[in-house]
This record gives sequence, structure tokens and C-alpha cells, in this order.
Amino acid sequence: MIPLEHYLTVAAILFTLGVAGIFLNRKNVIIIMMSVELILLAVNINLVAFSSFFGDLTGQVFALFILTVAAAEAAIGLAILVTYYRNRGSIAVEDINMMKG
Amino acid sequence: MNAPIFALAPVLPEIIVSLGALGLILLGALRGETAAWLVAELAVAILGVAIIVVLRHPDTTGADFSGSFIDDAFGRYMKVLSLIGALVALLLSLDFTAREKFASFEYPILILLSTIGMMLMASANDLIALYMGLELSSLALYVIAAIKRDDVKSSEAGLKYFVLGALSSGMLLYGASLIYGFSGTVSFNGIAHAIHGQVSIGVIFGLVFMMAGMAFKISAVPFHMWTPDVYEGAPTPVTAFFASAPKMAAVAMMVRILSTAFPGIVTQWQQIVGFLAILSMLLGAFAAIGQTNIKRLMAYSSIGHMGFALVGLAAGTQIGVQGVLIYMTIYLLMTLGTFAAIISMRRNGQMVETIADLAGLSKTNGKMAFFLAMMMFSLAGIPPLAGFFGKFYVIGAAMEAHLYTLSTIAVLASVVSAFYYLRIVKIMYLDDSVGAFDKPYWVVDWALVLSGIFVLAFWVYPSPIIIGAMAAAKSLF
Amino acid sequence: MYQTLVFAPLVGFLIAGVFGRTIGARASEIVTTGLLFLSAILAWVAFVKVGYGHQSAHVDIANWFTSGDLKVSWAFRVDTLTAVMLVVVCSVSALVHLYSIGYMHEDESRPRFFAYLSLFTFAMLMLVTADNLVQMFFGWEGVGLASYLLIGFWYQKPSANAAAIKAFVVNRVGDFGYALGIFLVFALTGSVGFEEIFAKAPELANKSIMAFGYSWDAMTLTCLLLFMGACGKSAQFLLHTWLPDAMEGPTPVSALIHAATMVTAGVFMVARLSPLFEQAPVALSVVTIVGGTTAFFAATIGLVQNDIKRVIAYSTCSQLGYMFVALGVGGYQLGIFHLFTHAFFKALLFLGAGSVIHAMHHEQDMRNMGGLRSKIPFTFAMMTIGTLALTGFGIPFTSIGFAGFVSKDAIIEAAYASDRFGHTYAFLLVVVAAGLTSFYSWRLVFLTFFGEPKGSGHDADSLHSHADHGTDDHGAHEPHESPMVMLIPLALLALGAVVAGFAFKGVFFGAGQEEFWKEALSVSKDNKILEAMENVPHLVSLLPTLMMAGGFLLAYFMYIVAPGSAKAVAQANPVLYRFLLNKWYFDELYDFIFVRPAFWLGRLFWKGGDGKLIDGLGPDGVAARVVDVTNRVVVLQSGYVYHYAFAMMIGVAALISWYLIGGVR
Repeated sequence: MIPLEHYLTVAAILFTLGVAGIFLNRKNVIIIMMSVELILLAVNINLVAFSSFFGDLTGQVFALFILTVAAAEAAIGLAILVTYYRNRGSIAVEDINMMKG
Repeated sequence: MNAPIFALAPVLPEIIVSLGALGLILLGALRGETAAWLVAELAVAILGVAIIVVLRHPDTTGADFSGSFIDDAFGRYMKVLSLIGALVALLLSLDFTAREKFASFEYPILILLSTIGMMLMASANDLIALYMGLELSSLALYVIAAIKRDDVKSSEAGLKYFVLGALSSGMLLYGASLIYGFSGTVSFNGIAHAIHGQVSIGVIFGLVFMMAGMAFKISAVPFHMWTPDVYEGAPTPVTAFFASAPKMAAVAMMVRILSTAFPGIVTQWQQIVGFLAILSMLLGAFAAIGQTNIKRLMAYSSIGHMGFALVGLAAGTQIGVQGVLIYMTIYLLMTLGTFAAIISMRRNGQMVETIADLAGLSKTNGKMAFFLAMMMFSLAGIPPLAGFFGKFYVIGAAMEAHLYTLSTIAVLASVVSAFYYLRIVKIMYLDDSVGAFDKPYWVVDWALVLSGIFVLAFWVYPSPIIIGAMAAAKSLF
Repeated sequence: MYQTLVFAPLVGFLIAGVFGRTIGARASEIVTTGLLFLSAILAWVAFVKVGYGHQSAHVDIANWFTSGDLKVSWAFRVDTLTAVMLVVVCSVSALVHLYSIGYMHEDESRPRFFAYLSLFTFAMLMLVTADNLVQMFFGWEGVGLASYLLIGFWYQKPSANAAAIKAFVVNRVGDFGYALGIFLVFALTGSVGFEEIFAKAPELANKSIMAFGYSWDAMTLTCLLLFMGACGKSAQFLLHTWLPDAMEGPTPVSALIHAATMVTAGVFMVARLSPLFEQAPVALSVVTIVGGTTAFFAATIGLVQNDIKRVIAYSTCSQLGYMFVALGVGGYQLGIFHLFTHAFFKALLFLGAGSVIHAMHHEQDMRNMGGLRSKIPFTFAMMTIGTLALTGFGIPFTSIGFAGFVSKDAIIEAAYASDRFGHTYAFLLVVVAAGLTSFYSWRLVFLTFFGEPKGSGHDADSLHSHADHGTDDHGAHEPHESPMVMLIPLALLALGAVVAGFAFKGVFFGAGQEEFWKEALSVSKDNKILEAMENVPHLVSLLPTLMMAGGFLLAYFMYIVAPGSAKAVAQANPVLYRFLLNKWYFDELYDFIFVRPAFWLGRLFWKGGDGKLIDGLGPDGVAARVVDVTNRVVVLQSGYVYHYAFAMMIGVAALISWYLIGGVR
């Protein structure tokens, strides 16, 4: 049986990749959305791993909630992105800096 | 609790707002854009009813949904604050949305939905409920920030808020998953039972990540970066909403989880909270000085104020929590009053937002200048105005908990921040006028006057708030 | 009822203050005056109910604030002492409001004036009805504020501003002591409510506390600090300098605040806290000595002043000294009784002086007056009654006489009969002061109303105290009698000055006194001062009357029989004359001791500290460093989402490393 630590390590790596994707990527906001999904999946792996390790269903229920919310979140993110694109004509991350200081 | 209808009694305010929001969606869908003003007024009425229901609730503690929802004095206190914030922000936007031509029936409904999320945050008693409340309020807030669809600043604000918000809730979730893993439960009471004394590094990781997610919501440094941009970009009444209601809910969530789920590791989280508080107060004090846009200035001001509220939380005692509640109440009313004044800054039909536009206000509109000056004095914490008492209670609690460094820095930061508040007063009273503002909408005018009177007269009769806060704080310990 | 009584002036203040410009001056006058008369009527009702009907009341308004053990409420404590003060404050205030309608009729900012008057009255009522020290302090500061506003009412006049600031600053010195006293009381008893403090007072006798390396008797130190506050408000020796200058305010203000009510707050406070003072004989000795000194010293200065209002101001100072002597020797009833009678005749004198000033078109120098007896006969009659009351005219060995006769002579007897340390000193000084009082009071009357008119030399317009008088249409500068609205208050006060003495003697300190005061004043068992003063030698009882007669005769001789002799006496004793004329050089002394070093220090900090250190540090000082910090912080706010996300990760990383490197303790 694969020990719990391995799951946690995979989740940590995925989480780090997701976070790195947010602040290393300079080109496309869509990639940021994907990174966010990656973070949420890392969390889900954690939860499910813990859940099955404890033999306790709560973690899996939590994971289902997160999946649902993630879908809504992606929809809203894309909607905002579309209005932004209509105003600005670009979705490059570097262009999102009208306001600063 | 035999009849199922009574079992839902603790959730009654949330149910009222939810059903109201759903009804308004129907109404909006049937009547179309023409219903915008009507929907907004009905939304105000729904929020008003909810406030009354919460206030008239008997003084008991009830739980629901297998303990994941708790209805106690603390939750009710914070719910009232969130509801007041939402209600006043909605009132402030009534005339504004029509003038700025983004009136739509979705806007009040989104505010209602986000308010339901905030109420859940204040009452959540396990990690899942907490996350659901947080996301419900955040998702609505992302959209509200970008509500002015044809404005590039507004949609940029929405996009920035969305990206960073998603990251922060990812962090919060990662922390939550670790806490679940190391305590074996998601309920706050269960966590408190499992985690105390010397704890493993995994718990610390979980705590830090969760704190990061919550600090983002209350815009504590270094998780504050979205605040100035979103405040500036969003339409002003939306900014007023952002600065008031969600802050209340986020503080409620933070206070509840720290005091009921982690009372066993107070010394550990005290340090994190103190760290956030110091950075927030200092940044709020220094970064605001150079600002020219008053909404950006208010963003830094609110960062600083959240730092002060955290000072009370850092004390980790019941008195500290009481101080936080008093502070948040006063902050809420000061912020709403100040934003009422900012919304009145309209010249020849155009919104103006720079501080220089306030020059000579005392000559063109003495009443507005006076009350805005009172707001500024109060935000700066000058006695005997309300703002002073807020600072007094949190710093007093920190002193009692022997956090002398923190208290000293708090006092110093409030001295520095007084500079930019007083500068606004100076500009209004001593500089030459640059022309009068348009006559403000009467609701906005009254919001400023009433909050001004609150700020001025708080010291005469502070008992209801102080006693309410005391009862609320007691229910957590 | 008590709520209406206290809050009516507040309502008046709000109406006149907020809507004054909208509703106009006349409406403001009517509203404030009407509400004040309502309060005054209720005050008399309360006086009868509490004093004679024995219905002390305790009215809770609201919980004010709670902080740890410190619980403070808004509440009224209405016992006999409060009822007496209510009568004094409301009656005089109502009459002064009425009088001001006439006196201020040329002024443009009347709504502001009436708003301030009502604000003052409200604060004073809060002070006298307070049921705890903090609420009393609120009233205390409130009257200070209103006094500041009213002294500086003619803010175009630099001297009025200076006087207002002086009054405020000198009062702060006293308030500092008062605040420390409150802290000490709280430290000792754990409460600020009178009920609890008084209950605990007996246990605290002979208790000692450590301060400044010495062991002090707790009660003595507390009472001395509280008395310091009383000294400031009641213009006692060393803290008296603000009162004469306060005469820069309009005359009705002087009558209300600086004669009848606010300055008696100190007396009231000591009487209210009598249960504490009874435990501190040393403090009472200090009260006696300071009171005696003030009575004498202020009277001497009064002898040579030429400004009609300043003479009365020093007389007030001196009479307050009498009240403190009474309190000091344990005769609280006598002190309050003198406060009560003094309010009537001193307000009468001030308003009479105001009537004279009004008649003379804002001329205040008595040397330019004279012969007014026939021009303004009614004012003359009223002033004479006031003077008779002040000097204590009456038939010895009976209670028949003007108000001051009954109350002042009782104080002198009590000072003699007491066995308090310092009572002989106080007795001698107050007896001499009685003679001086008589002299300067009659001097005022003779200079003003008798002799030849002397007003010819001055140019009336240049002496007008403020600009809008240039346009008045008095016609010729012929002195004229004041309007009815000013004379009615004079008549009512004169009535009080005549009858207040014998009408109320019985209940204040005669046979009915225990019945009347009940719990309001605490007199310890071995305090037998009221019995002792019945048995003083006849000569002592006669002495004040003799002094009064002597002073009158001397004044009559110097100003009527041989008008030049006063000048001759002054020239014969130039040093003494200048010493008195310059008020014992107190202003100069304070200037030398406090003001100049303060200026020196201020300049040091300004040029050295502020200029060199704060502005000089770095290229442009601390302010520039702050801006540098700001600029650097703001650069972090780059506007790029990935920078923001990076900052968040850095934050998390920093927090976690903090723990890993040993933060967890």
C-alpha cells in the first residue's frame, strides 16, 4: 500500500506548481485559471488521501464541495475575463496594470 | 426541536435573505432592466427585515446542520454589522447606478447573495461551512467589482480580485486540508479538542496557510496588494460595500476560528496575528501619505484599520475580542460615512476622485466639510470621537495581555496616519475652493450626517455597543 | 420632571445653535429663555419637594460606559444640596437670559450668545445633579468650555481672546488636580459613584499611601487634590488670576458664570464631597486658610480698582473666600447658604452694573461716571439694595437684615467658634475683609451715582467695545434708563437679595437644618460648629456690623464729604497703592515664573528640537524620510498580478520560516 506521505508529497508538488504558475506566467490569464484549478486539485488529493487514511468520509465530502465550487469559480472567472477582453482587447497578464501605486 | 420548521429557527435570517434573493431574480427576469430601481429597494427592505430578525432573536445559542452552523451572540453581532454594511452600501448606490448608467437588477441581487455568504461566514462552525460561506460571498464580490462592464478600470479590478482571490482561497483550502489531516475532523470544537500544546509542523503549515487565506479577505499586509487597485477600480458605492460588509464577515470568521478551533495554540497564532497587525498598521500609515486618489487613500486607510483590529485579536483574550468587535463597529460606521461623502464628490455630473477636488469645501458646502472632517478626525483616532474609543479598547486589551511592543507600534502608526487624515481637513478648510459639488442625493447626505452624529456622540452613550460586544465576545470563550 | 429640568437648556442650545441662523435672533431668544424659565419653575418645585417634602430622588438615565471595574452611569442625584444649586442656577440663568434680550439687543450674533448661555446652563446642571465624579467632571469641563466661549464671545477683541485663553489655561491647572483626585478616589474605593465612595469613606481615614517617596495620609492627599480643582474653578488664592480678566465677556455672562454659578462649583464640590473632607482635618485647615487669605487679599485689591466690573469681580473672589472658610471650619450649611444668598445679590450687582454700562454706552471706568442717581434712579435703587446685601446690613443679634447680613455674619461667627487649626487666622482676615468690602462697595456706589457727571471728556465711539456699536442710534450720549426687560430681572433679584436671608435661615442652618439637609451633607458626630457659634461673645456678633459701618463711614468721608482725600491717601502711600492697583503683582509674578520659562522652552524646542533635529535630520528632516518610506512602499504596488501573488507567497514563506527558525515557543 502506498503510504500517506506519498500522497501528501504529490499534493504539495501540485500545489507549488499551481502557485508558481500564477506568478511565473506573464502571458495569458487562461493559464492562471488553469493554475488555480491545479491548486484546488492538490487540495482535493490531500483531502481524499486523509479521508481514506482515517476511514472518515468527511474529507471526500469536502472534496466534492470543492469540485462544485471550482466549477462555478471557473465560470465566473471566464466571464470576467471576457468583459475585460472586450474593454482592453488583450488578456496578457502584463497588460493588467492600469492601476498601481 | 420536534417540528422540523422550528429546527430551522437559527438559520431564519439567512433563509429570509436567500428566499428574498431568489424572488428578486424572478422579478428581475420577468420585468427586465426596468425593474432595477424596484429590485434595489426591495433588496434594501429584505436586508432591513433580516437585521430586525437578527436583533430580535432571543439571547440563546443554537446549532444546526449537525453543528456545522452555530447561532450565538457573536455570530449575530457580526451578522448585524455585515447586514448594515450591505444595506447602507446599497442605499448609497441607488442614485449612483442610475446616474452612471450601470443600473441593472443583478447588482442588488449579487449584494444579497454575497451577504448570505457573509452571514454564513459569521456562523460557520466547521471548515466546510466556512469554505462554502467564503466562496459564496467571494464569487458574488468578484462579479460586483466588475459590475461596470464597459469600464476598463472596473473590469480590471474584477479580474485582479478574482485571480488573487482564487489563489487565496486555494491557500485557505490547502491549510484546511492539512488541519483536517492532523486533527481528523473538520468541526471547530473537534479541532480544538485535537490540537493543543506542542504541535507538529504540519499543523503550523495548516495554520499559516489558513491565516494567509483569511488575511487576504481582511486585506492584512502582505496579503493586501489587491485592495488599493480594487478600491480604485470598482465604482464608488461598490468600494463602500467592499470596505464595509466583507471586512466584518472576514474578521468574524478569523476571530471565530482562532478562538474556538485553536484555543490550544494561542501563543502560536498570536505571533502570526501580531506580525500581520504590525505590518498592516505601518503600511496603512506610510503608503497612504503619497496618495492623490481618495479611494486609494481609503484603501490604505482600511488596511491600517484592519491592522488595529488585529491588535485586539492578538491579545487572544475575551477583552481583546470585545475590543475587536467595538473597533469593527466604529470602523464600519466611519467608513460608510466617509464613502457617503466620497460619493457626493460629483462636479457638473462627473465623478471626481482626487483629494485636491476637496479643496475649499468648507466654503462651498460647510455641512459636508464639517462632517467629513469629523470622519477624518475619528479615523485618525482623536478623542473624544468614536475612532479614539475603538483604538483605546484594542490597545488597552493588548496592554493587558503584555504585548507592549505591539501597543507601542500601534500608537506610533496612529500618529503617522493622523498626518494624512488631517491633511484632508486642511485641504478642505484652508485651501482655495475649486468649485462647488453638485447637490448630493438626499439618502447619501443623510448617511453622512447620521454617521457623523454617531461619531460625534458615541462617547455620550456607548453602552449598547460595548455591552453587546461584551456579550458577543463572551459567547466565544 | 428632573429630565425635563436638566435637558430643557440642552434643547434650547441645540435649537438656537443649529437653527439659530434659520429661525432668527428673536425666535432663538424666546425659545432659550422660555425653556430656561421652565427649568427654573421646575427647580423651585424640586426645591420644595426635596427640601421640605423630603423626597430625595435618584434618576438613572443610562449606563454611560463600563471598562473593567470602572462603571459609570448617567444619573441624577437630587438631594437637598442639589436642589439648592438647581434653584440658584436655574433662577439666575433664567433671569440672565431675560436680561440679555435687552442688553445684547444690538449684537448681531445673538443666537450664538443664547446658545452658549443655554449650553452653559446645561453643563452646570449636569455638574450639580451628577451622581458620580466622572459625570461631575463632564459638567465641570462643560462649564469651563462654555465659559471660554462666552468670555471670548466678542472674538474680534484681542483682549477678550486673551482673557478666554487665560481662563481656560488657569482652570486646566485646577482640573489637573481634580482629575488626579478622581483617579485617587477610584484607586482607594474602586468606584466613582458618590453612594459607594461615601459608604467607604470612614474606613479610609488614617489610611496612608506612598507617593513621591513619602507616606501620605490618603484622605488628606485626595482632598487636597480635589480642592485644587475647586480652587481653579472658584478662583481662590494663587489660581484667581483668570476671574478679573474674565470680565472681558458680556456683562450678563459675568453675572451668570463669574458670580452666581460656575465659580461656586468649587464650593459645591467641596460640600458634595463633605463625607471625604470630614475624614481629612488637615485638608479642611488648608481650605480654611486659603479661603481666609482669598477673602482678605481680593478685598484689598477691590479697594483701588476703577473698572466697575472688576471691583465686583474681586468682590466675588473675596466672597468665595468666605464660603471656603465656612466649609473649612465644618459649617457646610453656612457655606452653601452664603452661596445661595450671594448668587442673588452678586447677580443683582453685576446686572445693575450692566445696566449702568448700558446707560453709559459701554463705559466701564468709574472715574468717568458720577451723578447717575437722578438719571437712572431705578438702577440706582437696585444697586443700593445689592450693596446693602453684600456689605451685610442688618440689625445685630436678630435675623432681620439683608441676605448677606444673615449668611456672612454667620460665617464670621463660625470662624471664631471653630477649633480647626487656622481658624483664628481666618477669623481675623474675614473680619477685616468685611470692613474692606463695605468700603469698596460704597466707593463704587458713591463714584457711580453721586457727585458730578464726569463723562464729558471721552469720545464715546472710540470706547465702544465692538464694531457694530458704531452704527447705534442712541442719539445724544445722555445716560438713559434701561428697558423693562432688563429692569424686571433686577427687581426679582433684588427681592431675593432682601428676603433670602431671613426667609431661609431657619432651614439652612437654624432649627430645621437637620430636617432640611438630611443625608445631603455629612457632618460627623463631633462637628458641633452650629451649636458652638450660638455661644460666641456678643462682641464677635457685633463685629461685622461695626466693620460694615466703619467701611461705609470711611467711604462716605472720602468720596462725598471730602472728594479729594482718596487721591491724597493714594499719593501718600504710593508703594502700597501701586501694589494694590497691580493686584499684588500676581500677573507679573506668573509671567516671570511660568510664562517666560515656557516661552524659552518653547523656543528651544521649536528652534532646536523641531528646527534642527526634526526638520534638519537628513536632507529635509523626518517629514522627508516619511515620504521616502512612502515612495518605496508604493513602488511595491506595481499593478502586476504576478507581483501581488508573489508577495503573498513571500508572506506565507516568511511566516513559516519564522516558526522553523525557532519562532515557536
